[in-house]
Amino acid sequence: MITPTYEFHRAVGIPRSAAIEYPYGRPLGQVGDKKGQREVLLQVLSFLEKAKKPGEVMFLPFRWPEDPKKTVWQPPEMSPLIKFYLEEIKQARQKESEKEKNK
Amino acid sequence: MTREEKTVDGFRFLPPGLKAWIRTFIPEEDFNGYIPWTPLSKPLSQTIFSLVTSAGISLKTDPPFDMEREKREAVWGDRSFRAIPKQTTEKEIDVNHLHINTDYIKRDINVILPLGRMAELESEGIIGRLAPNAYSFYGFQWNSADFLNEAIEPISRGMKAEGVEAVLLTPA
Repeated sequence: MITPTYEFHRAVGIPRSAAIEYPYGRPLGQVGDKKGQREVLLQVLSFLEKAKKPGEVMFLPFRWPEDPKKTVWQPPEMSPLIKFYLEEIKQARQKESEKEKNK
Repeated sequence: MTREEKTVDGFRFLPPGLKAWIRTFIPEEDFNGYIPWTPLSKPLSQTIFSLVTSAGISLKTDPPFDMEREKREAVWGDRSFRAIPKQTTEKEIDVNHLHINTDYIKRDINVILPLGRMAELESEGIIGRLAPNAYSFYGFQWNSADFLNEAIEPISRGMKAEGVEAVLLTPA
């Protein structure tokens, strides 16, 4: 699996995780970038050959060229799930901010 | 679980609220349950591959994934799947997903379902073969065991019938 959030492997038993710091919806790379997409794929296939144990994680070296704050990946309209859990999300954020302040 | 030195921030693109919330679903400790594992038994150049994505991709000639019901029922996700023939390009697809921006996939299917790239690797002999079909399902499944029966089981049967030996999964 190629995944932007490899941390999920702690919650689910994933045989092999190729972790890539790319935005959701574009784990192979940018539109039209055949060379870049190929490079990602070749590294993932190489990992498939080299992985020896269940649950292995490989960290791919690629860096997304855009500032994450400017990278568009979210849907144009807030998803129904996020709307449904908005209060819970705000509380999680507040809790984490307080944790950061108390460090 | 073996791990190389960490260099990837899995939350880099998430706004602070989503990051904090998603973290509540992820345990601090490593997974210690059963992990399905099949060793790769032959070189890549002899291996038959298929691709699977949770990006909600469908052919224009097939029914699209149902977004309207999810808009009415926030914790429901379409449990069906679609077969995507290996020669499919972005011209032949619809993409329906309420949790990501689908514009990029509509412009270039390879950003998440690299059929073109895998076809090139096949023609160069780097992989043995790309199976006749890739598969797409809808990744938003909020606690649905029915999804395994309705999508994953038939996808597995299809792959087995096509002799698939390795699968690349690209979640949306």
